[in-house]
Amino acid sequence: MLLELTGLSKRFGPVEVLSDVDLAIDAGEVCALVGDNGAGKSTLVKCVAGIHGIDGGAIAVDGEARTISGPRDAAALGIEVVYQDLALCDNLDVVENLFLGREKRRGLVLDDDAMEQLAAETLSSLAVRTIRNLRQPVASLSGGQRQTVAIAKAVLWNSRLVILDEPTAALGVAQTRQVLELIRRLADQGLAVLYISHNLNDVFAVADRIAALYLGRMAAVLDAADATQSQVVELITSGRSGSLGLGADTNGARS
Amino acid sequence: MALPPAVELRRRNRAALLEQLHRHGPQTRAALTEALELNRSTIGALATDLAESGHLQETTGQSTGSAGRPSTLVACVPRSITVAAVEIRADRLRFALVGLGGEVLERSESALEAGADPIEAVAVITGGTASAAAVASVPGLVDEGAVAHSTELGWIDRDAAAELEAATGREWRVVDTATAAAVGEWSRGDAGEARKLLYLHGGRGLTAGLVIEGRAQRGGSIQLGHIVVEPGGRECVCGLRGCLDAEMEAFGLADGIEDATLAAGMGDAAARDRLRRSGEGLGRALGAVVTATGPDEILFGGWLRELYLSTAAPVRSAFAETTLPHLRSKLRLRTPVLGDEGALIGAAETGFAAVFEEMR
Ligand SMILES: Nc1ncnc2c1ncn2[C@@H]1O[C@H](COP(=O)(O)OP(=O)(O)O)[C@@H](O)[C@H]1O
Ligand SMILES: [Mg+2]
Ligand SMILES: [Zn+2]
Repeated sequence: MLLELTGLSKRFGPVEVLSDVDLAIDAGEVCALVGDNGAGKSTLVKCVAGIHGIDGGAIAVDGEARTISGPRDAAALGIEVVYQDLALCDNLDVVENLFLGREKRRGLVLDDDAMEQLAAETLSSLAVRTIRNLRQPVASLSGGQRQTVAIAKAVLWNSRLVILDEPTAALGVAQTRQVLELIRRLADQGLAVLYISHNLNDVFAVADRIAALYLGRMAAVLDAADATQSQVVELITSGRSGSLGLGADTNGARS
Repeated sequence: MALPPAVELRRRNRAALLEQLHRHGPQTRAALTEALELNRSTIGALATDLAESGHLQETTGQSTGSAGRPSTLVACVPRSITVAAVEIRADRLRFALVGLGGEVLERSESALEAGADPIEAVAVITGGTASAAAVASVPGLVDEGAVAHSTELGWIDRDAAAELEAATGREWRVVDTATAAAVGEWSRGDAGEARKLLYLHGGRGLTAGLVIEGRAQRGGSIQLGHIVVEPGGRECVCGLRGCLDAEMEAFGLADGIEDATLAAGMGDAAARDRLRRSGEGLGRALGAVVTATGPDEILFGGWLRELYLSTAAPVRSAFAETTLPHLRSKLRLRTPVLGDEGALIGAAETGFAAVFEEMR
């Protein structure tokens, strides 16, 4: 398993926002994380990204227990988070954004042409045809194109786990489709993807597994091939569905 | 008459070498030697031979990385063998001339006027273009050059290959559009690892094509739109009731999928309901097709791309409820990467497959 969370807990003051959460994500798969508003999805992401410390449980990467105490730790482990409020620089162009803050850290010295070529190769490996001019400022891109640049950045820097927290929330129908295809392609190229959304069509379009959080607890983790929409809706709204979920005889979560 | 063994072997090797270059692009002699499991001198002789006949050329490529040493690459000459591909649609013809190696050398389209016979129009669009093979893709149920049924074109039992030959004075192969697109995605897209690839095509009506190891199969052309998903349901143009095409009003979606998904995205309840029902119908029909054919990858092409991405929850739910677990557990559901070009590219590839076959 690329990432394995066991018994993860997180409190904000007296409130336990995540309790005893287990979740494992493998390379090459899209794991969707669903749950109502306030279920704890973004908090889980921030624990993995090193933004929040955890109060209990363990995070393992490649089977090795890790303490992730900041975004730098996460990046060093190959974990990249694409946030809703994308950290792109409007006044820089696509290529500059893709390389922003990285070239020095890796001790690489690339000239402009080499960077542009690498950027073009990365986008074409993801079958991205929507960004024609790599030298246009990011400010001139649509929401979907900006999302694409943010995701491509993760690929360019050899991330192994890409986490997307509601990446299509602000996008139109056509742009959402492109981002969904991109998410699927990331996993098909061997990356692990944790994809957070509460649009179930988006979830079913790309997910290999679906993990449902209910009030900070993992209600069930299902293979998307076996799941139905009504099951997932029940897990989201009540934490259980038939024999699946919290308090049920058999827990759907994978051990 | 049987050829002497040495001559036959040489023919086979020539075909194998050209096919290797066609499929995998320019490569070194060493890579060819390894891929074809022939010895170096045989490859050398073949390369010289094929360079003389104008099929390939050796070029100094980029450095190979290791020592930055430039290496000589063997590449095919696109114009040395070409295939003409035509995609016939209800309202237009699309044409491509594809060269050895897969390069698209010529590309054009022309609108078909209502009532015009596409077969006559094919003769015009291909003009005098010379090519080693010609392949037409037709949306519908196709077997051995004959079109048993095409909802989109309104054809029943037309010997398209013979009619095309009569109209153009040359031999034609005919393949259904979904199968052609499957071949295209397998050979030039992202689906090359699929052993059994099922391509679902949304045109004016739904069709599907199954290819095995990238090859079109007899019996692989599937009338997806005429699978009954609602017994006793709406009347279909084919005469049956409750066909998928009729239940999802596929003709309307063919023209209006963007509007429908946009309206649903903005919260229009009627549009949402219609898409949900269409998705459920598609999932159920898919259950039947997958149960009968057992593919390992499915591509949602044509306007089914938009439908699938916007209604994946009902599609996959209905599919899960109508398919045995072992048939769906490892199944990959994807959208095509070649988009609208898949059928033309795949039609050309079936032509190349036939050319290599004849060379052997
Ligand atoms: N920094 C914080 N301080 C205090 N409470 C927080 C903080 N972040 C989130 N919460 C609370 O934790 C719960 C889970 O929030 P969140 O993880 O954002 O849910 P989701 O992303 O699933 O909608 C909510 O009740 C929210 O109010
Ligand atoms: Mg959130
Ligand atoms: Zn019918």
